[in-house]
Amino acid sequence: MRRMGKIAVIATVAALALTGCGSDDKKENGGSDSAKGPKVGLAYDVGGRGDQSFNDSAYKGMEKAEKELGATIEEAKAAPGENDDIRAERLRTLADAGFNPIIAIGFIYSPAAATVAAEYPNVKFAVIDGYSSTIPKAPLDNLSDLGFAEEQGSYLVGVAAALKTKDKHVGFVGGTHGDLIKKFEAGFTAGVKSVDRTIKVDVQYLTEDPNDGATGFENPSGGKDAATAMFDAGADVVYHAAGKSGLGVFDAVQAAGKGHWAIGVDSDQYLTVDAAQQPFILTSMLKRVDTAVFDFVKAVKDNTAKPGFTVYDLAADGVGYSTSGGFVDDIAEQLNAAAEKIKSGAVVVPTDPAKVK
Amino acid sequence: MLAFIAGGFVLLSAVRVISGADEITSSGTLAVTLTATMPIALAGLGGLWAERAGVVNIGLEGMMIMGTLGAGYVTYHHGVLAGVLGAIAFGMIGGALHALATVIFGVDHIVSGVAINIIAAGIAGFLAEAWFTDLPGGGPTQSPSLADPGKINLSFLSEPASNLEDKHWFLVSDLASVVEMFTKNLSVLTLLGLALIVGSFFLLWRTRFGLRLRSCGEAPEAAESVGINVYRYKFTAVMISGGLAGLGGAYLALVSTSGFQVGQTQGRGYIGLAAMIFGNWRPTGMFMGSGLFGYTQALPFRDGTHSVHALLLVVAGLLVAVAVIQWLKGSRRNAIISVVLGAVFLTWYLTTDIVPADFTKMAPYVTTMLVLAFAAQRLRMPAADGRIYRKGSSG
Repeated sequence: MRRMGKIAVIATVAALALTGCGSDDKKENGGSDSAKGPKVGLAYDVGGRGDQSFNDSAYKGMEKAEKELGATIEEAKAAPGENDDIRAERLRTLADAGFNPIIAIGFIYSPAAATVAAEYPNVKFAVIDGYSSTIPKAPLDNLSDLGFAEEQGSYLVGVAAALKTKDKHVGFVGGTHGDLIKKFEAGFTAGVKSVDRTIKVDVQYLTEDPNDGATGFENPSGGKDAATAMFDAGADVVYHAAGKSGLGVFDAVQAAGKGHWAIGVDSDQYLTVDAAQQPFILTSMLKRVDTAVFDFVKAVKDNTAKPGFTVYDLAADGVGYSTSGGFVDDIAEQLNAAAEKIKSGAVVVPTDPAKVK
Repeated sequence: MLAFIAGGFVLLSAVRVISGADEITSSGTLAVTLTATMPIALAGLGGLWAERAGVVNIGLEGMMIMGTLGAGYVTYHHGVLAGVLGAIAFGMIGGALHALATVIFGVDHIVSGVAINIIAAGIAGFLAEAWFTDLPGGGPTQSPSLADPGKINLSFLSEPASNLEDKHWFLVSDLASVVEMFTKNLSVLTLLGLALIVGSFFLLWRTRFGLRLRSCGEAPEAAESVGINVYRYKFTAVMISGGLAGLGGAYLALVSTSGFQVGQTQGRGYIGLAAMIFGNWRPTGMFMGSGLFGYTQALPFRDGTHSVHALLLVVAGLLVAVAVIQWLKGSRRNAIISVVLGAVFLTWYLTTDIVPADFTKMAPYVTTMLVLAFAAQRLRMPAADGRIYRKGSSG
């Protein structure tokens, strides 16, 4: 029996060691000594790079920074079920390793970034979609939140959905039911209603818990079930703001067949889906995370980084919609008109679904 | 058992007519239920094979993860048929590891199973990054889109059924939904899974091989004394267990969605284990348990706030039925408790029009707890389940 105990111990240790290989993988591009540009630490939430959406968009910005600013990147990604302490520890590890700036991808990092930024006053921190700068009592000058006017981009794809629906019935699949994804829902619904008040909008979130990213954004089969239910109920355009779960929405639209559309989110998803699914991707709501990341790295390099909130809106080209596939070319005029109204301030898009008139 | 299913179905149908929540037995809901049920049932079937031979297999989750990875890699390179076989083979690797540790080395079953879960998650994350990062449409945490294993459509049956369903007649339309579920877009893998469940029943309970295998889970010493090679039966059972869990993984990667994703099992291996326990280590009960999980997983998306509200009435009806049975058995106290609970659910149903969205997502867990609370009293696991068996220990 003693031998068995030893084997069990060895197996467990081996298991933990192997897990280490998989879940906390870090990649260093180029030696840190030889790099002239900024050393950037990039911390992802669960999922991380490879979602063909939000996180990949951030990485695209980093690639540009690598090329144009000579930046070095270190990536760190999260495991499911983490809490703020673990996230803070990840940021500390990056800061201790000499990375500056450190960019955290995802609102979930806000409390952790606020804590760690206070401990490392010489390191610049930024949180994409974050609200970290509202947390400390006294504002920190090394803590930035890079936000987007998602409601404006969502409004435009809402207009597109309303112009394309034949059955006057569209749908929205959200990841987690929190303030961030509510902005997408509010903008989309407002856009749809601005064209035709009688169009029905089905709304479904994959989880009600705003912090359950695994169920909300990492759940393609849930996204597929939710979208299939909408298509079965008679909707013919479905917009998703659900990260990787959105890939299930694309499976659902393909199964629903011709005459049904899906709208992508964050990056131009027409370019990354399977060729068989491309004819169903009406457009994508673009959120230029890449622009925000690149701008921030550049600002840190030039010493012009601004603490607090920076919002990338339609006027600043921070959000928009994609035209790949050419499915919205026939309604380009209406979409441009709607965009102009938002830019001029004639239309103010609500950020709370309860306030959509 | 059949009477129980039929009774439940009539109750569902009646509730649908009373409440007007048509989604609770619509063909769409049932189709999604079937898709959600199969991976859980395959994992559960894997658990059943292992535990019938006396090995607790909590490593099902890990073997399922191996299956998703195998399906992703092999399908992409060699096509869907090879992919399904690859998933089974990957699952079997996990099974072989578990069998080696528990049967040959005598490691505690839980320790080995948990280790396999952790190793599999790590390996899948590591290999996914190595294999899929540079493929078109792939990424460090996902494979490219994969081919579908094929679907069966019997439109000469499904179309009349669909018409009948739209009439919303009591029982007739609900049965039509069931017909439609099995004749429209039925995945080949679903059919394979159902065949394996039925086949496992016959193999384990109607053949000499099955009797010997089960004897290893009930009384291994006695089995050895009549000349059965207990190690070999246990090893075989755990390998098959891993293969079935791997097939469940293939189902997730090829049917539930169209590609491998890191973390896509989302605990279904554990749920399968729970479904097997709920089903009293029997295939039919295990499948019903999986169906229950699948149904409550599908329903929140189908007009959830209304559908789950209608379920309150179903629960009230079930509780009343339980009360009647308990009363007839002479246990008055349990009968009264059931009636009171039933009245609570009925009141809840009558005083509200919908349930909150938060509650719809909670429904699977609440249902599970309720059902397990009623079922748990009558469960009997294989007598030597989870015990470490040493050759020659019968003396």
